[in-house]
Amino acid sequence: MSQSLKPYLTAVRHSLNSSLCLQDFSSQLVERHNYPEIENKRSPEILLNPLHISRNASERVLIEPSINSVRVSIKIKQSDEIEEILVDKFTRFLTKRAENFLILRRVPVEGYDISFLLTNYHQELMMKQKLVDFIIEFMEDVDKEISEMKLFLNARARFVAESYLNMFD
Amino acid sequence: MSSINTPAVVMDNGTGFTKLGFAGNDSPSWVFPTAIATRNSNSSSTTNTSSILNKSSDLSSINSPYTSSDTSFLNRNKISNNSIHGNREMSDLDFYIGDLAIDASKGPSYSLNYPIKHGQIENWDQMERFWENSIFKYLKCQPEDHYFLLTEPPLNPPENRENTAEIMFESFNCAGLYIAVQAVLALAASWTSSKVIDRSLTGTVIDSGDGVTHVIPVAEGYVIGSAIKNIPIAGRDITSFIQTLLRERGELDSSLKTAEEIKQKFCYVCPDIVKEFRKFDNDSEMFAKYIVETVSHRKVEIDIGYERFLAPEIFFNPEIASSDFLTPLPIIVDQVIQASPIDVRKNLYKNIVLSGGSTMFKDFGRRLQRDLKTIVNERVEASERLSGSKSSGVQVQVISHKRQRNAVWFGGSLMAQTSEFRSYCHTKRDYDEYGPNIVRNFSLFSVP
Amino acid sequence: MLQLEPQNLLIEETFASALSPNYEFPSLDRILTDFDFTTYRISTPEDKGKILLSIGIKCWSDLAKYGSLELLKEKYGHYSFIQILSEGSCEPGYDVSLYIDINNCTLNNIEKAELVCQLSLLKRNCFAAPFLKAFKRYEVLSRENPADPNNIYGEDSVAATNNNEEVLKLDYRGEESIFIKPSNDRVTVIFSTVFNDETDKIFSKIFLQEFSDARKRSIQKAPQVINSHKDVPLEIQHIEKPTGEKTYITFVLFPRHLNTEDAKWNTITHIQMFRSYFHYHIKIVKCYLHQRMRYRVQSFTKILNRAKREVDEAELRSERKTASGRRFEVR
Repeated sequence: MSQSLKPYLTAVRHSLNSSLCLQDFSSQLVERHNYPEIENKRSPEILLNPLHISRNASERVLIEPSINSVRVSIKIKQSDEIEEILVDKFTRFLTKRAENFLILRRVPVEGYDISFLLTNYHQELMMKQKLVDFIIEFMEDVDKEISEMKLFLNARARFVAESYLNMFD
Repeated sequence: MSSINTPAVVMDNGTGFTKLGFAGNDSPSWVFPTAIATRNSNSSSTTNTSSILNKSSDLSSINSPYTSSDTSFLNRNKISNNSIHGNREMSDLDFYIGDLAIDASKGPSYSLNYPIKHGQIENWDQMERFWENSIFKYLKCQPEDHYFLLTEPPLNPPENRENTAEIMFESFNCAGLYIAVQAVLALAASWTSSKVIDRSLTGTVIDSGDGVTHVIPVAEGYVIGSAIKNIPIAGRDITSFIQTLLRERGELDSSLKTAEEIKQKFCYVCPDIVKEFRKFDNDSEMFAKYIVETVSHRKVEIDIGYERFLAPEIFFNPEIASSDFLTPLPIIVDQVIQASPIDVRKNLYKNIVLSGGSTMFKDFGRRLQRDLKTIVNERVEASERLSGSKSSGVQVQVISHKRQRNAVWFGGSLMAQTSEFRSYCHTKRDYDEYGPNIVRNFSLFSVP
Repeated sequence: MLQLEPQNLLIEETFASALSPNYEFPSLDRILTDFDFTTYRISTPEDKGKILLSIGIKCWSDLAKYGSLELLKEKYGHYSFIQILSEGSCEPGYDVSLYIDINNCTLNNIEKAELVCQLSLLKRNCFAAPFLKAFKRYEVLSRENPADPNNIYGEDSVAATNNNEEVLKLDYRGEESIFIKPSNDRVTVIFSTVFNDETDKIFSKIFLQEFSDARKRSIQKAPQVINSHKDVPLEIQHIEKPTGEKTYITFVLFPRHLNTEDAKWNTITHIQMFRSYFHYHIKIVKCYLHQRMRYRVQSFTKILNRAKREVDEAELRSERKTASGRRFEVR
């Protein structure tokens, strides 16, 4: 783990820990409705201050807490157009399978690559610590996966090119 | 897209066999097992691979080497192919499909997998590679130049369709895609029969392949999912039944292959077993002889007796072979139709279509029609007796046709060669615009 | 499968069985395809022993201009039982037909295998003519004006005299073309290709970069590869208008690729497969990435499932009891 990654992830972990204090909260506007307040943002008194954690210009996390839900959006590092396309492919692949992930939002918040929506129901179903672990692990793995894919792509391209040109011998 | 005149690709991936070909042909270009042999991660021996590779280029029965300058690169292909062995990064290129897969798996370093189980794709990684090889090696086409027609079993979850579309459009960039239900294609294939007057998409499909037999009612192109029934008797069971009979009689050769060939060449459906037994006992002409060449090139002659008509009989009297499934096929068909909505039942009885290799026995359709008619007539008589009024009668018709063996593929080929086919497909552009969920809906073929 | 095979497996199989001694003569009628808009039709129109093999190629008019028909006559004409039909007499909708009379085939087994091999390479043979023509022209030019032996790779000898040389052009896929230009010390083959998909475009850049680098790194014997996005290479600037969409890949074939008959055919076989090979591998890479992503999805789901609270069924059941000690049914 590189030097700057650790404090970044620690900061995300602590912020998530403190923002994941959720409770059941029925809608104040529509009777017998209960939905994630962060998604409709119509009653400002139950929204908390959103929080940005940035590692550098291209990597950042946005945590938007509210009384019964937290939205976590992640911007994944993309340094060139290959990484861009790989991130796009990967996040699209994940969001297509969102039903397996329960907490994955099908559409990321604008300006980010992938978003999670944690509600009080998720917290009842799953352990808070483990949920935070998942998000941290996810952030680590995604970076790793993207760089591995990129490496693979280059290795494969080289192999393919060499084996084609070798035939001209 | 500049894919104006290319024939559409029709791929029917079944549990046991895959049929590949182009629209407009009357039979698939390739039929091979839906099997893929992947390399075991732990083994490092490459001893057997070269022999397989040799086999791959010597499809001919003529086993002489190539003589021209073309030999050089054909050989080189084999050598460079070997360089992917042991290279971990390239392991995804190291696999075989179809018959070659079965050959490869006989060696120690490959393991055999069947990516489709019970008609549905279970292993997408393997299926993706299976398609990749089917398209580029066997069909030899650039997917962006062709439209594709794929098939799916009835009651396939829409997620599977989306996954299929994801692979076809994102990996292969195919120009357009249509996914059709197998039973509907089987109905379309029956239009070639002279017995079919109106080309409707309503009927009961009896699809009997290698593993399982389905009875599927289809109304106006839609499968009536709640009424589908499966029968655990199909080609494989008939073969093993023949094998048991051969063993019990102590024939010199009772291998699976022999049993398979006897099934294909000698079996037929008789109208009445008791009479047939008597016929055999009175007339020794009925007994056939079959000559097998064993592995050691010795010729062995085996007698073929009652299994000629007994084997297919297990569809009609399952108790002779199995102890846990006892309902005869005609009764199942009747139950299926009775479970369907009342207003289509008449049409379902009128158009019973056979599909798949295990329905190819001589007189299979005739026997089924007779038995089913008996059941239906009894019911009609009973209701006439109870109500006192005269019924208009129910017409029962089982349709056999020449293309029964690959009926699903043939139906697909018929559909895909119509000029309207392309307008029913979803194109790559649609996919990019709307995402994978567009394939949840395909408009039905209108009847031309 | 690393390499695409130049021969068409289905043609190979059909004729191998047709020429084998115990052939049953079924009636045939099938359509099949090959890469780059090539269509074949195998049929038995008159007699089951006479097989008509027709081929239709999108750029046939270009190929015919460069002598493909003559090459086919050379390749197949010496078989007495094969009739080559072209233009007016071939099957409508196709460009050339070979009418093969299986019954009158008098070859021995080795010759049969050779014939099957040549038939399955029909597409390559059609595409070979313009290359052969360019190679011949190169031979003439090199004799007139021998290359400087000290300049082995000819890095900067774009001689002025060569610039007026005719460039052979094949519009083999409509928008995409092959250009072949002979000169006194080399033959230049330029592919122009178009990617409709953004992802493909970016992946192709990585691949092409490696194609260019491969020779510098290790494979000295291979042709030099130069690629340019958008900019039209110098050699074809006078016949190709820049569109800004196409990618150009230039192969520089050196004398070592052209000096013997075997080398020539080997070069042709591989170079005409280039586009298919290139596009094929881009697709394979995407398949592999899918595979990786599927694996990732699985491992993420596993981690997430670990977070789920374990609900102990037995505990629940023992906790919930009525006053009389009876348990609720846990559904």
